[in-house]
Amino acid sequence: MVFSFTYLIMCFIGVAVGIIFGALPGMTATMAIAIFLPLTYAYDLHTSLFLLLGLYVGGISGGLVPAILVNIPGTPSSITTGFDGHPMAQRGEGEKALKIGITASFVGGIVSLLCLWFLTPPLAKLAINFGAVEKFLVILFALTIIAALSKGDMLKGIFAGFLGVLVSLAKNYTLNNKFRLVPEFMEPNMYSGFTLLPVLIGLFALTQIFQEAEKGMKENDFKPTDISNNDESKKFHFSCMKGNGINLIRSALIGTFVGVLPGVGGSAASLLSYSQCKNFSKHPEKLGTGAVEGLIASEAANNGLTGGALIPLLSLGIPGDSTTAVLVGAFMLQGISVGPLFITQNPDLWRTILMALAISNIFMFIVMFYPIKYIAKIINLPKARLYPVIILMCIVGSYAANNGNMFDVWTMIGFGLLGYFFSKFGLSSPSFLIGFILGRDLETYFIDAIQGSQGSLVCFFQRPIGNVVWVLIVASIAFAIWDARRSAKIEK
Amino acid sequence: MFKINYSWGNAHWIVPPIIIGVLCVLFVLILIRRALKCAKDHTPFINLNYHFFVENWDKLKLIGCLVLLLLYPIAMKAIHFLPASIIFIFLFNVLFCGVDKLAMIKQGGGLKNEGLKSVLVSLLISVIASVLIWFIFGTIFRVTLP
Repeated sequence: MVFSFTYLIMCFIGVAVGIIFGALPGMTATMAIAIFLPLTYAYDLHTSLFLLLGLYVGGISGGLVPAILVNIPGTPSSITTGFDGHPMAQRGEGEKALKIGITASFVGGIVSLLCLWFLTPPLAKLAINFGAVEKFLVILFALTIIAALSKGDMLKGIFAGFLGVLVSLAKNYTLNNKFRLVPEFMEPNMYSGFTLLPVLIGLFALTQIFQEAEKGMKENDFKPTDISNNDESKKFHFSCMKGNGINLIRSALIGTFVGVLPGVGGSAASLLSYSQCKNFSKHPEKLGTGAVEGLIASEAANNGLTGGALIPLLSLGIPGDSTTAVLVGAFMLQGISVGPLFITQNPDLWRTILMALAISNIFMFIVMFYPIKYIAKIINLPKARLYPVIILMCIVGSYAANNGNMFDVWTMIGFGLLGYFFSKFGLSSPSFLIGFILGRDLETYFIDAIQGSQGSLVCFFQRPIGNVVWVLIVASIAFAIWDARRSAKIEK
Repeated sequence: MFKINYSWGNAHWIVPPIIIGVLCVLFVLILIRRALKCAKDHTPFINLNYHFFVENWDKLKLIGCLVLLLLYPIAMKAIHFLPASIIFIFLFNVLFCGVDKLAMIKQGGGLKNEGLKSVLVSLLISVIASVLIWFIFGTIFRVTLP
């Protein structure tokens, strides 16, 4: 990999813009990547990855600012950050809380990067031996995992995932050149089906704008807690984090593990890590009142997610979360498929990903840690002024997806409305998107498998690895049912 | 039962019916779960008090946003990217900031008038953003623009 100065600039831009998106409640890292993806058309994948991974890390990290200062998480993954961060800010330790959060985020990001580095190659090596049957079953497993962890809405989670699969199949079937699920008048534009980029821009950017418009596009009239404090005891020193080493590493690993599971968002990572922190804490009663350990648990976990979510993507071709699902779009635009052969066939890209993730975390730390007083002001940027520009970028990005096709703009608007309806009926857009991305592979492997067995479905139960995956599928569904019942009992 | 009649001619129509079948089963299961829950809680199966929109939803902004979004691509085709974008980004700005600001302009007061200030900012944003995106995407990155 030839290192270029452009990489650093793109990474820096990505991190800075990502932080802005993360710090604004209602805007997410996924949205940032979706609308910036078209910018990568002009660059090679190496340069693009520096920008996109910078956006990813910045977007996840920026969420801590409003969570601590106004107790509103900037991103879903910062949901538990405010539990302890905000009480700290209220007692005049805002700057200290922000800097503890940034340091924990940095450590979480680096731990997850190490996990990505060491775990992906062996997992990919294992997956290389997979035949069509195993590949089909792994995708099926990914779809059931989505459901298993769609807290309280298991059936709706699976439904959204399979709906995504069905929509992805609406296209011309290349082997026999026949259309299916496509109205005749749409056939000229639907030869390859719906393009991924407009679909995800619609689902993750436009839906958000519709929701905000419905609520009246109310401005964030936050009165953030003053973070400047001259009291030496309330200032940040690295010694503030003393005694939290194990908590830090455990939380980062929990975040990474949750990231590996497809379809599970960052909110699950921070909630799980926070509850574990409470279980292991010597003073659990202090959590929620401004305890440093709670803040560390939340922030280390949500940044731990970044590397974790890339593990299944780069080893199995299955995105770990909605943001990595959007990253698939970047690979597809450059004609590179992610999966078990990715590392072997693209060793340069693999090194770029590791390097970009490491540099993004370093930049995130530098960009957020020192000028934190100024970054804190981002939360009051007027959304009513930002959204029109985002709409403009969405339209340009969608139009350019196929080198200038207005049908893609209509696709984006259509999927924006679909995402809006999903939100009304409790259906998950990330589950739908993961189903949409995996749907075509699911069909290909299924057809390959039954072709090899002359149509017999028994082939799906005859291979040892396949049977292990079946056990995992059944176990994930059983876990989902047990977990749903347990949650219902706790609620009562 | 454990065999699928596979042939080259029907290959395109093997997986879609299976997925549709799975979706139908899931839909029925969702309905059954809801029926059971309603029976347990003694609540009606169809909630007549269901509100699709949030309380006090902003009709003008939501419907206006949708209408502008539908007209924007049409305008781009008719009058090209840059003029259409300047007009529509301005309209989106005015819509999202509140059309009531337009009424304030009548009160006068020059540049101190909040309504006039808001409209001027909207105009400035629409011109700068459209030209900048046209320049960055279209000229520097050579992305095809409408």
